[in-house]
Amino acid sequence: MRETIAKDALRAFLGTVVAVAVYSVAGAGAPGLLIVFNAFTVVVLYFSVRRGEVFGALLGTMCGLVQDSFSLGVFGVAGLTKTLLGFWTGFVSRRIDVAPFTRNALFMLVMSVIEMILWVLLTAAVRPGSVNFHGGLVLLQPFVTAVAGSSLFAIERWIRSRKPRGA
Amino acid sequence: MPLWERRRSALVLAGLTAFHVLLISIQVPRGPGKSLFERAVFFLFSPVQRVATGTVHGIGSIWNGYFDLRGVRAENQKLKKEIFFLNQDVRFLEDRLRLTESEATLRANLAEFHGSLVAARVIGVDSANPYQTIVIDKGSLDGIEKDMTVCDRDGALVGRTIAPIGLKESMVQLITDKDSSVSVRSVVDGLTGSLAGRSADVCELRHVLASAQGGTIGEELKTTGFDKIYPAGIRVGVIQSSGRDEFSPIFRSIIAKPYFSFDKIDVVAVLTKGPGGGG
Repeated sequence: MRETIAKDALRAFLGTVVAVAVYSVAGAGAPGLLIVFNAFTVVVLYFSVRRGEVFGALLGTMCGLVQDSFSLGVFGVAGLTKTLLGFWTGFVSRRIDVAPFTRNALFMLVMSVIEMILWVLLTAAVRPGSVNFHGGLVLLQPFVTAVAGSSLFAIERWIRSRKPRGA
Repeated sequence: MPLWERRRSALVLAGLTAFHVLLISIQVPRGPGKSLFERAVFFLFSPVQRVATGTVHGIGSIWNGYFDLRGVRAENQKLKKEIFFLNQDVRFLEDRLRLTESEATLRANLAEFHGSLVAARVIGVDSANPYQTIVIDKGSLDGIEKDMTVCDRDGALVGRTIAPIGLKESMVQLITDKDSSVSVRSVVDGLTGSLAGRSADVCELRHVLASAQGGTIGEELKTTGFDKIYPAGIRVGVIQSSGRDEFSPIFRSIIAKPYFSFDKIDVVAVLTKGPGGGG
């Protein structure tokens, strides 16, 4: 049991490193892209579906805290919302089939919309007046996240299908 | 079966949620100050950001270097570097020249800036709002301290260094951040106010009375040095619009456009000497 938790924590750490790398590369390419693309959310969604709720919660905690540390916002808000996102994504995906592309995209859209609502409410409650919608542009974030996340699964399936059987 | 086995997922979620609620509860009364834990997370993961950005730049550089004329490219790089420092020097010299009254004062001011610039590459932007902060690839090992002035390639004001400052990485608060405040003055009419960000690509000039004269559209704004963070005479931006404040009739609503271009900000200069920090 302890070994499993330790392994999950280590994998979550590596997942966070991947998230930071994706976020940095996106930021280096086009800083404005970060308004509509949240690399941390994509990574949390992707790995939570693959590895379940406990791993999702751990990864959400790490990714959320790192996101908070790279921002001037209240430390812990993104941590909390991403922990809940990771947990519930892992939990629900174990109970319903989210493998088909459309269903997968819809599921990710719903989860990222819930996360955004939670983040906006928490931020508004903790530091009133600090939520910036960038003229509504930030509302595109769940859509971009859903497309990016479900595309990752589609690419993964495509790569696996190209591997010769028995190899 | 023990409780931990049966309710493992729920207990992990409850524990992590409690941990976050505690973190937020500690952070809220502290205000914008960074906790030790937050600084530790930044120190741990900012090198990853540095490596990722460095790799992208490295690959881009190899790609360009291979296909371009390499000799010309190397010369171009050298010239760009020289231009960067010359631009900074020229801007500061121009600004200082206008402010100074005697040759002796001018010499003293020039000596003040000599060798005080550190060029840094932007390796990251704020994860929640790109207009709040950036992360640069220079830290305490390069002489960077809190509250040092940061300018773009052309010497226009970008912001100031804030905590956390890592060994090789630092965070910079942009003047477009809503919690940022810079004391500025318009160059023609001498209209003085406090320039605050809006977490967007424009800023607003606050605390200007409705009865105050001047502040025409297109007029340049420069730092006054009154805030004891930014040296006087640094170019900040231009007035974009001016009108009556709807919410507070005794003040004017003045919107200013910063000179620094958010999308093109790849290299910056940090002033290691000045009122804000360092020597």
